[in-house]
Amino acid sequence: MPPLAQVLERCATTPPNILATLQKVQATLGYVPHTAVPEIAHALGVTDSDVAGVLSFYHDLRTEPPGKHTIRFCLGESCLAAGAEKSLAAIEKKLGCELGETTKDKRFTLEKVYCLGNCALSPCAMIGEDVHGRVLPKTLADLLKEYKK
Amino acid sequence: MKLYVPHDTTAVAAGANRVADALRKLPGAEIVRTGSRGAFFLEPLVEVDTPAGRAAYANVQPKQAATLLKKKPTPIAQIPFLAQQTRFTFANAGITDPLDVKAYGFSALDKARGMGPQKLIDEVKTAQLRGRGGAAFPAGIKWQTTKDVQSPVKYVVANADEGDPGTYSDRMIMEGDPFRLIEGMAICARAVGAKKGYVYIRSEYPAAIRRMRAAAVRALEAGMLGPESFELEIFIGAGAYICGEETALLESLEGKRGMVRPKPPFPAIEGLYGKPTVVNNVVTFATVPDIILRGGAWHASMGTEKSKGTMPLQLAGCIKQAGLVEVPFGLTLEEAIYAFGGGLPKGSRFKAVQVGGPLGSVFPEALLKTRICFDEFIKAGGILGHGGIVVFDQRTDMRVLARHYMEFTADESCGKCTPCRVGSTRAKEILDAAVKGEATDEDYALLNELGDTMKSTSLCALGGLAPEPVRTIMQYFGKEFQKRR
Ligand SMILES: Cc1cc2nc3c(=O)[nH]c(=O)nc-3n(C[C@H](O)[C@H](O)[C@H](O)COP(=O)(O)O)c2cc1C
Ligand code: FES
Repeated sequence: MPPLAQVLERCATTPPNILATLQKVQATLGYVPHTAVPEIAHALGVTDSDVAGVLSFYHDLRTEPPGKHTIRFCLGESCLAAGAEKSLAAIEKKLGCELGETTKDKRFTLEKVYCLGNCALSPCAMIGEDVHGRVLPKTLADLLKEYKK
Repeated sequence: MKLYVPHDTTAVAAGANRVADALRKLPGAEIVRTGSRGAFFLEPLVEVDTPAGRAAYANVQPKQAATLLKKKPTPIAQIPFLAQQTRFTFANAGITDPLDVKAYGFSALDKARGMGPQKLIDEVKTAQLRGRGGAAFPAGIKWQTTKDVQSPVKYVVANADEGDPGTYSDRMIMEGDPFRLIEGMAICARAVGAKKGYVYIRSEYPAAIRRMRAAAVRALEAGMLGPESFELEIFIGAGAYICGEETALLESLEGKRGMVRPKPPFPAIEGLYGKPTVVNNVVTFATVPDIILRGGAWHASMGTEKSKGTMPLQLAGCIKQAGLVEVPFGLTLEEAIYAFGGGLPKGSRFKAVQVGGPLGSVFPEALLKTRICFDEFIKAGGILGHGGIVVFDQRTDMRVLARHYMEFTADESCGKCTPCRVGSTRAKEILDAAVKGEATDEDYALLNELGDTMKSTSLCALGGLAPEPVRTIMQYFGKEFQKRR
């Protein structure tokens, strides 16, 4: 069975939960392709627009494949107070891409996030599921090196 | 020999895992991973048992591990940041293994099982416990409302969306003492007659999610949860600030877009799937076990006239000693920032402080004497909210900060009501111009008007309160907006 169908088999609950389903699809495929919407809707017994509506609402859900590592850079107030904008500019320069974009080599996708709960070590960024603090222009290179592969 | 090493997200970001690995190599060392005490400026904080209680080594680096124990540790009681606090809700954080059911004990739930539902609610009412998520609504009244509705199905939901930047107390409970949250929810379920509950955790907290899931399994195995008594499920958010608003949270929990529902009906009467639902913040629930164990009157004996108990303040931003400070309500903002936070780091001078997150306000130095409790903050033109305190120094461009708030609102508005959706976008455009020094007096007049419209006609407090930080910035730092190109 193709991976999407396998996921959907596990998601056919009553009542159906569209968000939880999309999260599971994304966990399996890395993203939720627009083309999968009808199949998801059919499996859950809801309309295509129900699914598309949820898909477009949440920042976490993506319709394009992301880079190998997703960097979620914090622009919450604590991080701003600690100079996050300078760190962000340095990251953008280093990666050659801006917020919302993926690097040409598909290694990194750069996104913003508002607070990681790691404010005591601002400025912060989460790479994959790892939370990093004191992300400063001068420590960036070392940090990104850990995620080269 | 037991060595206690925190496993909390911030401690790990400070290097606690590498320290734990290095310490594991010491002969006879038994590593116990704990939550964090919240003195984050000291992390990684490694602790040992001494005849006089726990003592600690601060800011331990992996390379110090081999010789660490040759040095004399500092007794916890001699660390002023911790010694000056009144720890109840955060009593275990950083001390015990968060997943050790026996160490936790569940004694409050045991006691609650011998008390009638109304007695439980009466204790919470006597305690005068007000919600710690932002709106400060009396928990006892909410619980009573749900209890009094006749319905075969009811729900208890913990709001662990913790969206306010600069806050992390919910995260610390979930990572450092998850059973306390579970116990508080189970007591609530018993009080209101619910059999099913959810913890709605934001996706930005992967460690808290893992810990809560593991804790729910252990609590089930220990008989503290179960299909006959109370079943608990962990639900993960998907990156939307608005889903911290209780009705949007419930929509999201049902798997839909996180759109705010008009109130009334209130969730306590018609909540999840239309059933009576208690929604409380993580810290609110985590405060309940002590109230049941020690009695509501004990809780009501602390704090100010209308803000009873303790509040976990979360110090962040440009501050020397960032971390969690649990104290009875009533100290001043200044005491929090200077007596606990140690003031600002070298080279920084105080300029402004944000309290209450992006729906709170930005205060200047002149308001630092404001006492920390719900009512004094309202009087001063702000809200205490979830207790986040973010300090800004002289380098902060207040125009950029103001623009940030409106960008945040525009990003996070659910879009259901026009004032919030369109108002925040227009306001952001004006502040974009302000940053460039191109905004005119008419622009600022329009900004004011947009704020008033958002405040009076938005569907929920996101649109209603989002203009507040900008309003207070303009009020106290208006001069900076006069700079023209
Ligand atoms: C835009 C918005 C965001 C909110 N975010 C949160 C949040 O992240 N966590 C929370 O506990 N309450 C949040 N609230 C408050 C909730 O709506 C609700 O009042 C709270 O969960 C009730 O619990 P409490 O009484 O224990 O505080 C938010 C409210 C609004 C309007
Ligand atoms: S504001 Fe950036 S981690 Fe909290």
